[in-house]
Amino acid sequence: MSTDPRRINPDEALRISRRQLLSSALGFPALAAAAVTDPLAPRKPPLAATAKNVIFLFMHGGPSHLETFDPKPALNELSGKLVPPSFGHVQLQFSKFNEQPIIGCRRTFRKHGHAGLEVSDIFPNVARRADDIAVIRSMYHDGFTHTAALNYLNNGWPRLGRPSLGSWIVYGLGSECQNLPAFVVMLDGGIKSGPPAYGAGFLPAVYQGTTLREGASPILNLKPPRGVGESDQRTMLESLRWFNEQHLASHAGETELEARISSYELAFRMQTAAPELADLSRETAATRKLYGLDQEHTSAFGGKCLMARRLVERGVRFVQVWSGGTTGEGDWDGHKQCDKNHVKMAAKTDQPVAALLEDLKARGLLESTLVIWGGEFGRTPTSDGSLNGGGDSEGRDHNPYGFTIWMAGGGVKGGKVIGRTDEIGLRAIEDPIHVHDLHASILHFLGMDHTKLTYPFQGRDFRLTDVHGSIDLAKRLMA
Amino acid sequence: MIPVLAAFAGGLTAQTIEQNARRVLDANCNACHGATAMSGLDLRTREAALKGGSRGPAVVPGNPSASLIYQAVLRQGDLKMPPGKQALSAADAATLKSWIEGGAAFTAPAAAAEPTWWSFKKPRRPAIPGSASANPIDALLKTAAPAADRRTLIRRATFDLHGLPPTPAETAAFVNDPDPKAYEKLVARLLGSPRYGERWGRLWLDVVRYADTGGYETDVLFPNAWRYRDYVIRSFNQDKPYDVFVQEQIAADEIWPDNLELDGSYDLPESKKKNLERRIGTSLYTLAAMPVEYSFFGDQLRAEWQAESVETTAAAFLGLTFNCARCHDHKFDPISQKDFYRLSAFFAGSEEREVPIVSQMRIFEYTRFQTKQVHVDDLRARYNGLKPGDKDGRETLLRQIGEAYVKTPRMYDKATLLVHTAPVPDTHVLQRGDWKNRGEKVLPGTPAALGPSPEIVEPPGNLFITQRRRALAQWLTSREHPLTARVMVNRIWQSHFGRGLAGTPNDFGRQGEAPTNPELLDWLAVEFMDRGWSMKEMHRQILMSSAYQARRRPQRIDAESIRDAVLAVSGTLNPDMYGPPVVTPLSEDEEDGMRDMSMWPITPDETQHDRRSIYMFVKRSFRLPMLDTFDAPDTSQSCARRDTSTVAPQALALMNSEWMSRQSARFAASLAKASDPVGEAWRRALARDPSGDERARAQSFLKESSLQRLCLMLFNMSEFIYVD
Repeated sequence: MSTDPRRINPDEALRISRRQLLSSALGFPALAAAAVTDPLAPRKPPLAATAKNVIFLFMHGGPSHLETFDPKPALNELSGKLVPPSFGHVQLQFSKFNEQPIIGCRRTFRKHGHAGLEVSDIFPNVARRADDIAVIRSMYHDGFTHTAALNYLNNGWPRLGRPSLGSWIVYGLGSECQNLPAFVVMLDGGIKSGPPAYGAGFLPAVYQGTTLREGASPILNLKPPRGVGESDQRTMLESLRWFNEQHLASHAGETELEARISSYELAFRMQTAAPELADLSRETAATRKLYGLDQEHTSAFGGKCLMARRLVERGVRFVQVWSGGTTGEGDWDGHKQCDKNHVKMAAKTDQPVAALLEDLKARGLLESTLVIWGGEFGRTPTSDGSLNGGGDSEGRDHNPYGFTIWMAGGGVKGGKVIGRTDEIGLRAIEDPIHVHDLHASILHFLGMDHTKLTYPFQGRDFRLTDVHGSIDLAKRLMA
Repeated sequence: MIPVLAAFAGGLTAQTIEQNARRVLDANCNACHGATAMSGLDLRTREAALKGGSRGPAVVPGNPSASLIYQAVLRQGDLKMPPGKQALSAADAATLKSWIEGGAAFTAPAAAAEPTWWSFKKPRRPAIPGSASANPIDALLKTAAPAADRRTLIRRATFDLHGLPPTPAETAAFVNDPDPKAYEKLVARLLGSPRYGERWGRLWLDVVRYADTGGYETDVLFPNAWRYRDYVIRSFNQDKPYDVFVQEQIAADEIWPDNLELDGSYDLPESKKKNLERRIGTSLYTLAAMPVEYSFFGDQLRAEWQAESVETTAAAFLGLTFNCARCHDHKFDPISQKDFYRLSAFFAGSEEREVPIVSQMRIFEYTRFQTKQVHVDDLRARYNGLKPGDKDGRETLLRQIGEAYVKTPRMYDKATLLVHTAPVPDTHVLQRGDWKNRGEKVLPGTPAALGPSPEIVEPPGNLFITQRRRALAQWLTSREHPLTARVMVNRIWQSHFGRGLAGTPNDFGRQGEAPTNPELLDWLAVEFMDRGWSMKEMHRQILMSSAYQARRRPQRIDAESIRDAVLAVSGTLNPDMYGPPVVTPLSEDEEDGMRDMSMWPITPDETQHDRRSIYMFVKRSFRLPMLDTFDAPDTSQSCARRDTSTVAPQALALMNSEWMSRQSARFAASLAKASDPVGEAWRRALARDPSGDERARAQSFLKESSLQRLCLMLFNMSEFIYVD
């Protein structure tokens, strides 16, 4: 019998009572008993961990690596020409790769920090954090549409039905914070792949992400309907507790009913904790300014980044902050004027992202918080002309074959670059890192072995990384 | 240890050693390495064993340590056999060792493949212990628990069979019924009500991953999916024999062929209507989640569709997981990759199509109005051609489009069904599941481990209409089939007891849980077939057992039952049955995460919003928050069993959501005229009177708060969503 608490059949575990478990001769460790009564109880990671929490800054739509962190001078030399056949062919969603001209890059790259990390001029503030950041230029997968790619990055698999990264992590580690959800998502409009991006898939629903908004009612149904005051709410909760305890008394030992009574207490604590969390006026003027809350273009994303810091401060395990959405004000999907689009999106996010890194570091939180920046794919060196009826619109198509993400904190040694794409930034050709490797490495930072974090479903022990994944990336980022 | 046993074995005759070895191989290896030849290895003949499979020779006569088979059973290297947790016993391993040492003789032919895995053996009627008059379920369970009281029983049975609470009148009538057959009458009444099909239809929709849209980025609308949902409800209400239900869904068009052509009348004749109804069953295969936006090739979509059809067929009807075998041989069950594609070949030559389900006369009537549609299109084109800023022109044209549209007749009724294509495309094993990487060509066939494959005679060439699905359906519903009946009775058992006799209803393979009471499962399966595959009879058998009527641990009702119970108790449940899905309004907060509100077209008639949950729009990329929070299934794959999570967002939804607030107000309003509102509220929500203490508590609550808040509190009580 394995001693890993996550190897017990969790479907069962949620049902076995603590008493049954402790009296059983199966010899599960005490940790498992805690997991039985509360699936969100904090669990010690099985391996040494360098990170406790994760903040994933998700640039929805697919930010161009070519305009951000992966300079390719050849693009300007070849601008307007077709791709030389030596680069081979790739399948794209909107354009025929070998029939579209290469688009030059209008950005200027400069070296930053001790290590001379190259960052484009659309990110002047992030560039100042260059020594905290490790850039991975050789990400790849094969999902060239948004949904397939979003599913890859968020769920480890291009198809529907798999649990999200955050839900796997919370399933593995539980939560340090009992007054707030363990896995929090801040959206910027809808996601093209929908709520499955933060769903629990086949894991119990308790592990799914909770969306958090700014304002007085940051969580769905957090506040009673209009006209119901706090004292009305407390009166009902007190009576309800009495009735539910009467009911429990006639069903002694039913842990599910006990858990239900606790869930009302948690709900009530959340009613206090969540508005307190979302109340950014409690931050100093300097902090608010740092995140750009005083400027119109940065205040929305800045507020989310500041909230992300407040969340990890309170022990929330996994925070995902989205930039761009289907119902918001645009996203990073750089069709038509990719450069202009990115200048606009970067202006909204650059200062807040840099502020988050700086603030986390100043508070000593960066050491234990893994920060990830990236989107579902990068963009092609070529025009997506077929989409817009001509090659002159300077739009770039989706490119999952080579793209960039960066990571900071949580054990990552900054100021380094991993991997390389070819001369035109089409494919990852040196140290290619698949999404499975990224996920395996994220779990490794958190002290979990991606081959052991499993859940039985449909006759198989499923993993976030399916049957793939390597932690070499994590090892190199830590070195 | 082994040398001792080997020495002991050394005293046996060569013949005995061979017999013993054969017994070990038959019991542990041949299910996969017999006719199925997983990894190419067949251990039924010496020749094949020496040749071995993809890893090379399995047996090296005279040299156990060089024999892969011996290394594998010792579990010392990479290869560990048999798969799963249970290793071969030391004695059995020693038997194989001495047999190989002695030259690995195969003098007698291998025994006819007799399945060794429990679920692959045909179910047999077990002997019933004890007196003949005892209920066989109780006799086989061998447990006795005190009976629950009548109030508990009617609440339990009504939620189980209807997904709704009993009304106070129903409860009172049953509790006070002096007839010794009162309970039997109750069960009969519940099974006779159309509410039964709405509850059990929903459970079946879980199994077949029902949804009204296709999921992924496009999340396309399936405009006729609801006809399948209605077909399922009707099938349960009619107590359609399960074998027929299976046959219709897989192959109604082949088993009950009919054309839909003009026959001169306005209304279809009854026989055609009946066959059409059966054919709507095949819509099952038109409802899969499909990544339309990244399937750029017809062949790719076809490969996806055939694979999904296999996975759903296997999970729903066979209770087996085939998904792994799409890319490689199954690692635990005797299902090879070739088996996967042989099964998928049953679906080659079929495709979905939207077809009219009205007479040609009605279609003709519609087409005569074609000119009106053309007029609408013309107006639209003119509208699109307007100069920017032409406000007057825009308004005029919009009005004209609206008027013209109203006059245009609605499209006639259609359904999306399976039809045939010719020529029939070849089916190939796809290497690693990649549609571009075609391997060996295969013909339709069923897994060898499940007995003989049905014979399919097809004319030469590909220009025939297949009868393949018919063969598959008949194979599945044969009395000889080891799985079909067992899998379904296990689902029925699970929904009554909260847990199946086999705990993994979609996985009767080696990774699944073995049944806790295999005799009872077998008895139920045989009884099910003997009673004409009648599902209502199985409910009756189960509900009449003392085991069902005993006191038990409370179980939480599912998401749909919670929503429906709130509506029923508030007195606002709209009992209309059938029809297109209902789209309910969302609160502003709930709209978060919706990709595009235009994909959530709210049903204008508000009374529709209070219909049962089974009629609500099932959108793959956005689940109704109220149902989602209470563990409604993710519809991407077959759902064998719902989770029952207990989390704070459920408490928030029941306490604070706009919808709950509205329902509790309606509940309170309906109590306004009651002489005893507290008692009446309790009877409606909990099917009982409040105790003295409870009444006192409720009265003091009312002094501080309101009747509406009391009603809301009732909906939040554990007792409301848990059934004893």
